[in-house]
Amino acid sequence: MVAQAHPEPLDRRVPLVDPPATIQQITESVAAPMEWKAPLGWWLFLAGSLSCLGIWLGSVGYLFWTGTGVWGVNNPVGWGFDIVNFVWWVGIGHAGTLISAVLFLFRQKWRTSINRFSEAMTLFAVVCALSFPTIHIGRAWLLYWVMPIPNQMAVWPNFRSPLLWDVFAVSVYGSVSALFWFVGLIPDLATMRDRATKKWQQLFYGVLALGWRSSHRHWQHYEVAYLLLAGLATPLVLSVHSVVSFDFAVSQIPGWHTTIFPPYFVAGAIFSGFGMVMTLMIIARSIFKLEHLVTRHHIENMAKVTLLTGSLVGYAYAMEFFVAWYSGNPYERFTFINRMFGPYWWAYWSMIFCNVVVPQALWFQSVRRNLGVLFVISILVNVGMWFERYVIVLTLARDTLPSSWGSYSPTIFDFSTYLGTFGIFFTFFTLFVRFLPMVAIAEVKAVLPEANPHHDDGHHAAHGGH
Amino acid sequence: MSAPRTIPADVLTSISANSRWQRFPLIFGVVGVVCLAAAFGLSASTVERFHFSYLVAYMYGLSLALGALFFVIVQFLTKAGWSVVVRRVAENMMGTLPLFAILFVPVAIGLHHTHHHWWHLVPGKDPILDAKAPYLNPTFFFARAILYLVIWTLLSQAFLRRSVAQDQSGNPEETRRQQWMAPPALGLYALTVTFAAVDWMKSLDPHWFSTIWGVYYFAGSVVALFAMLSLLVLWLQRDGFIRKIVNQEHYHDLGKLLFGFVIFWSYIAFSQYFLIWYANLPEETIWYAHRSHGGWESMGLMLVIGHFAIPFFFLLPRAMKRNPVTLAAGAGWLLWVHYLDLYYLIMPVHSTGGPQPSIVDLLTLFGVVACFLAAFAFLAKRSALVPVKDPRLAESLAFENL
Repeated sequence: MVAQAHPEPLDRRVPLVDPPATIQQITESVAAPMEWKAPLGWWLFLAGSLSCLGIWLGSVGYLFWTGTGVWGVNNPVGWGFDIVNFVWWVGIGHAGTLISAVLFLFRQKWRTSINRFSEAMTLFAVVCALSFPTIHIGRAWLLYWVMPIPNQMAVWPNFRSPLLWDVFAVSVYGSVSALFWFVGLIPDLATMRDRATKKWQQLFYGVLALGWRSSHRHWQHYEVAYLLLAGLATPLVLSVHSVVSFDFAVSQIPGWHTTIFPPYFVAGAIFSGFGMVMTLMIIARSIFKLEHLVTRHHIENMAKVTLLTGSLVGYAYAMEFFVAWYSGNPYERFTFINRMFGPYWWAYWSMIFCNVVVPQALWFQSVRRNLGVLFVISILVNVGMWFERYVIVLTLARDTLPSSWGSYSPTIFDFSTYLGTFGIFFTFFTLFVRFLPMVAIAEVKAVLPEANPHHDDGHHAAHGGH
Repeated sequence: MSAPRTIPADVLTSISANSRWQRFPLIFGVVGVVCLAAAFGLSASTVERFHFSYLVAYMYGLSLALGALFFVIVQFLTKAGWSVVVRRVAENMMGTLPLFAILFVPVAIGLHHTHHHWWHLVPGKDPILDAKAPYLNPTFFFARAILYLVIWTLLSQAFLRRSVAQDQSGNPEETRRQQWMAPPALGLYALTVTFAAVDWMKSLDPHWFSTIWGVYYFAGSVVALFAMLSLLVLWLQRDGFIRKIVNQEHYHDLGKLLFGFVIFWSYIAFSQYFLIWYANLPEETIWYAHRSHGGWESMGLMLVIGHFAIPFFFLLPRAMKRNPVTLAAGAGWLLWVHYLDLYYLIMPVHSTGGPQPSIVDLLTLFGVVACFLAAFAFLAKRSALVPVKDPRLAESLAFENL
């Protein structure tokens, strides 16, 4: 519970969850939010989220009625808020898959307390992200044209366009993430089914639990499926944002076309995703009384990953800037000078401040353990990552031909649509925390010291820990 | 059945007095010097050729030591437990970094051959080179080179010294200190390796640029590290050392990381090629254009197959990583294709018409690798082959993949 006064021991691993977590207590504390009578706060939050969702519906309805002219996009800035928000939301999703798949393969067992929550965040973020290309195409009712469906006109989508690769990359990512999430949920859904006292609960959890009986055979299949899905999801962590970066990097536009874009975008995505997980988790663990399962250690580990990925992003900024100079190409050089001192200088320096300067505070353990400061940092991280995409997209305003320069200013509908996606996100999230176990009950139990079957000498060294 | 939590008495954890490893520093040292001298002698009429071959070999040997430095830093950064029993081998690989400061001398002497495009700059002749002159000039180049070599030497010795000191003292503070050093060390590592790769390899084509270049060299280095680490561990075990305590569980992890970094290298190599190919800007495609005729194109294709497809499918099954013979085969293969990768990056600047393999290439490669092994063996016999009093040794001994 309390921060350790003495340094952590090196010859053994401290338990991943704090007292009073026991096998029974974990179930009780995770199930509680689903079995409470919903408090007023939950209804108020749901009402707020639904209001935002209403704003989204209104904005999109007006957009469909009137056309994309209601946005600020113009020539030369043909991409504005919609692609910025698309990339931003996709990026946020990445932490969930990293935690659930990559950290699983790296045997980072502390992930068990936060994977369910962040995977849920991933799925909702992907939904928000996908809304933007859908409405950006103008005639959303023809969305199915992006699929290579045989037709008598022999018209196919342009397979050489990275925008089409996005369709496949993000939809595969969304499907695998949903599957992974659901497979992980099955044992917990069965737990909820067995605890259910109301008819609808028995039906709801009973159907979703797919007849899980916790038999030995079930667990064997489950473990294999989980490992395979982790293996399949791991390349997706890298591929999705790499393909998103191709949207920019395959072009010839200075500042967009640069070879470090794929890994740089992936690092930025994980950076922003961890920012969002921290924002939500710092609040949720307190409201739902899960501090003993999502401990300060977990939060501190997330802060460390944020520092690492923030440093990778800083490295990429430095490389872009250095190579723009090193290239000797006047257009490349101009692009970066223009980002710093041109009309959108404020966006550039906001990005540098939030993504490079602010995370440096995470070098200090006192900061990593201060939830208030961490909460502010986690929000600034996502502000910074939004500005990063804004800076990249606004490169369009000044290309190589000064006579075609322009500018961009978003309209009220750009803002309302963006705000509306928070409505989508939080509506899902509010329902999630009420109706599904937000911590993986079975997985956390498996990292309890008593779950370790090695009775050699009382150490639990080989079984994870901080 | 439970693995031991202490090192069993019958396990040899240091080089015994009658082992051939006692003579390896001398044997490999002589072989290394003779090979390099022979390479230099054989190319007396075309000294430029020697310097190019030597540069490839130097970057190859350096990648083994730098990869090891990365591995050691990351073990402390992540407070890893599984890797303690193989960490000393990596630490000794990393400990060879001061040698690469000495081995840099022939590179420095040959720079006016290898980097001649910008070494003798005539102002006003080439506007792009003029624009880069504040960075690409001999004085600043040497100042940076010295900086990189000093930083690597200091970092490697700081980690190695503390780890070896702990063998005697058993003081856990050494581990804490290394954990404390690891994050800033990683930052220094990233910047120095990136700019060294830019200076020593990218500036061979001084007009060309690619922001991912540093990551590319890094990715190849880590592949080489896991391959060489696996081979050295297996070699030491074959000669009777550290048997049993390094077992198939540890091979499995080394194999998984080797496999993972093969994919990472492929991802980075693909990112660079694909984006340049797609945008098709002449100032960038020229680099691949030089590498797509006269036989270089076959070599590029070979890298796709040999550095990605073959090791991917070979190392994918679990059994291949847990079996020492197949792991060694995969590691040996990757060490060879890693050399070809560096050859493909550097040599086309010299052999513009197509690959001209020469005995000088092999002699310089053998020379540098033999010097590396001599230094490695020298360090290996100075201390235990595993960190015998590391606080996480028990965890590493008992480690099992689940």
